[in-house]
Amino acid sequence: MKEIRKTAEYIQNLLNESKVDKYAFALHEKETREFNADLGDFSLFRTVFGNNAAVTVYNDNKMGTKAGNDFSDEALKTTVDEAVLSAKSAVEDPAYDIAEKQPSEVFHYGCYEPDIEKFFSRVEELLSDIKAQYPKVKILNVFASHTKDHALYMNSNGTDFEDFGGSYSVSIEFSGNDGEKTTGLDYADVTTANLDKPFIDLGSFRVHLESAQNQLNLTSFEGKFEGTVLFTPDCFAQFVAYTLNNYVSSSVILDGTSLWLDKIGQQVADPRITISMNSSDPRIVEGETYTADGYRTQDVDIIKDGVLKNHLIGLYLANKTGRPVTKNTSSDIVIAPGNDSYADIVASIDRGLLVGGFSGGQPGTNGEFSGVAKNSYYIENGQIKGAVSETMINGNLGDMLKNVKAISKEVVCDGSMVIPYVAVNGIVISSK
Amino acid sequence: MLTDILESKKALFADGVQTILRGQENRSRSVGFLKGNLVRNLRAETRGINARVCKNGVYGFASMAEYSSAAADSVIAEATRNALFLDSHAPKNKPMAKSYGQGLVPLNRNIVDFEQKRIIDACKRIDDHVASKYPDLTSRMVVYSEDSMDKVIYTSDAHDGHITSPRCYIYVFLNSVTKDGVPIELFKAFGGAGSFEDHFKDVEWMYKDIDALYKMLMDKKEGVYAQAGYKTVVLGGELSGMLAHEAVGHTVEADLVMGGSVASKLLNQKVASDLVSMVDYAHTALGKEAPLPVYMDDEGTKAEDALLIENGILKGYMHNRESADHYEVKPLGNARGWSFSDEPLIRMRNTAVLPGKDKLEDMIASVDDGYYLLSTGNGQADLTGEFMFGINMGYEIKNGKLGRAILDTTVTGVAFDMLKTVDMVSDNVLWSSSGFCGKKQPMPVGLGGPQLRCKIMIGGR
Repeated sequence: MKEIRKTAEYIQNLLNESKVDKYAFALHEKETREFNADLGDFSLFRTVFGNNAAVTVYNDNKMGTKAGNDFSDEALKTTVDEAVLSAKSAVEDPAYDIAEKQPSEVFHYGCYEPDIEKFFSRVEELLSDIKAQYPKVKILNVFASHTKDHALYMNSNGTDFEDFGGSYSVSIEFSGNDGEKTTGLDYADVTTANLDKPFIDLGSFRVHLESAQNQLNLTSFEGKFEGTVLFTPDCFAQFVAYTLNNYVSSSVILDGTSLWLDKIGQQVADPRITISMNSSDPRIVEGETYTADGYRTQDVDIIKDGVLKNHLIGLYLANKTGRPVTKNTSSDIVIAPGNDSYADIVASIDRGLLVGGFSGGQPGTNGEFSGVAKNSYYIENGQIKGAVSETMINGNLGDMLKNVKAISKEVVCDGSMVIPYVAVNGIVISSK
Repeated sequence: MLTDILESKKALFADGVQTILRGQENRSRSVGFLKGNLVRNLRAETRGINARVCKNGVYGFASMAEYSSAAADSVIAEATRNALFLDSHAPKNKPMAKSYGQGLVPLNRNIVDFEQKRIIDACKRIDDHVASKYPDLTSRMVVYSEDSMDKVIYTSDAHDGHITSPRCYIYVFLNSVTKDGVPIELFKAFGGAGSFEDHFKDVEWMYKDIDALYKMLMDKKEGVYAQAGYKTVVLGGELSGMLAHEAVGHTVEADLVMGGSVASKLLNQKVASDLVSMVDYAHTALGKEAPLPVYMDDEGTKAEDALLIENGILKGYMHNRESADHYEVKPLGNARGWSFSDEPLIRMRNTAVLPGKDKLEDMIASVDDGYYLLSTGNGQADLTGEFMFGINMGYEIKNGKLGRAILDTTVTGVAFDMLKTVDMVSDNVLWSSSGFCGKKQPMPVGLGGPQLRCKIMIGGR
């Protein structure tokens, strides 16, 4: 395989020869090594050597992108030619552009070269820890991988970013099983830059495994009521993703359907809510270093102390709307912790649910959601009474952020986000 | 399309192991107009070779982003090393999966490529039509999405072949707001298996369906929230297809069965009303080519239909070669991988509830107080068969007649409980094939079914 810098030079020469107005391209050279275990036993060892080249051309106010993974000269020439042709076929729009020149930088993060023997031992240890410490958990799959990624981003304004990144990630799928009963599937994953600690002690593995066992003890309630839902960090992350998509993402700003279209600087959430994209946070293992438009990534507050600070605005949307560019295109979410302990929050709930997962349709643009509360527990008079099944929760994303009851001081850091437990009032909870 | 450069590599397959060598190209074309703005204009190809080697029950897998003779040599060697690593570090000492014969599966279809300009022009034409005919919409989106898999497969002890699966769709999204200012959206996917010109040589044929979509959006504009509770409903074909795939299909994939799914203890038992039968079709369904035909899987197994439920009795699971050996049945071609770097997993193909004898109008007339649920944006289920489908279009049924439209909601239930409540099944099947199933890797799947009258939990206010 060709050295990635030489590949970049070759592409750059082709683009310069093509006389297009502007261009940007990103190259990735990746190596992944992955262990799979099925039903608790190792089943597959996988090695993936992968490349990717994505070339975007801007010419006569038109834009086109071509991507491919073949780094041969012939294929790269086709990639560039097709990017030029795609741009030529497009419709004119002066809003297409790339970021102005940024200072060149080389980034190193995570763990670039894996220790495969030690990694195997840690995964073996995880399987054995789960068997010994959580005997009523049945493991379906473990996917444990290390990926190293050597990446280059260059554009015609002279920006040159180079990344050397790598990390270990472990994902487990499991259920509670006592031989008679089986619970629903649960998932947990973690990303880490080192193998210093047993995997079972990282992220929220123990919380999920404990929960899978507890899910075997079902309780029930009848009818529906409006109550408090205490979201686990993993589940709250899902609602934050829905919220960002519905209210601040580029598509809902461009088409004008966001209900927060004109709410920058206004209170949209409880004053205790601060949601940021903090790519430089050391707890995020592979934080974004540059954006899709070619800006050096900055940490950005979306909501600070309940006030909407930023929409997610790329350069195209900024040029279309006159709004400022948001220099972060990651999902490196960090949510500020609160002052209450998890135990105190549970004790303060009169009637509600602890919700560990949500299975529901993508909420509509109005923010209304309804779906099944998965891996969830009924709470009454400050006590967790037992697991529930066939239970639905309904509410509204915007209202949720205003109706916060408490935020935990404990946070879960799984290597890709940092999130506390969040309790919300006013959720409709219904059972069969 | 790929040319076959792999046949001679069979000579490199080691004795005493099972080897599969797969060259693959995935192609995608994507164009998107959001409210008249071209926000997506992308062409992409990924190409490479992988090898999977099984030794004593453990697998080594390796892939390389290069479709060349040298890459084939490298991945065979690396996959063999990986298999030996696992065999020495975590031995299973299992026998090799049984062989069901060898042979050659012929190329089923060519993949035809088209210029991006034709795709952009087609989308622009539809967008212009929607913008001029329906100026009152708050927003609109027209998206072209094409993906295809092209695979050349050689195996040590199963079938070899060159198989393709191209598909392409145009999605039309329409947005409006209710009188209370609640934003609403509906979409429809047009297209299916094949290439651009198979479906979009002209686009005017889509306009009457876009008119119908607009009418439903206007109904939804006057829509009400569903009343939460356990209700009698008529599920549209799109939803019964989703039920077949999500709520039943996944629980009868053999890897999940072994993981303790609800179906693991129900083989040959009653799981649904007598009116319910379900099949995972390979390439031909109900007398026609299936929406996304599969002729051979990525383990070299020739694809055949898998009977899942017959007259309410659970009859079988879906397998790869290893799980088929475990359950002492014949594999039917369900092991598939999404890209050149993916190992084959047990996946569905074209999963459907079979049609019955009832007429939709009789089914609606038979409901005093319930809902007719027409379309869904997504669905999920888990090992217990508990499922959730998002509902984005439906109507009240009052005294046997359709009433007001309902706003977005969700339905849920436990598949093998809910299927026992099915008491009417319509005589037609509606297929959809534009979605991806997610299970470690994405995979295009077809799903279909008739209208079903049943009881279900519906969310709402």
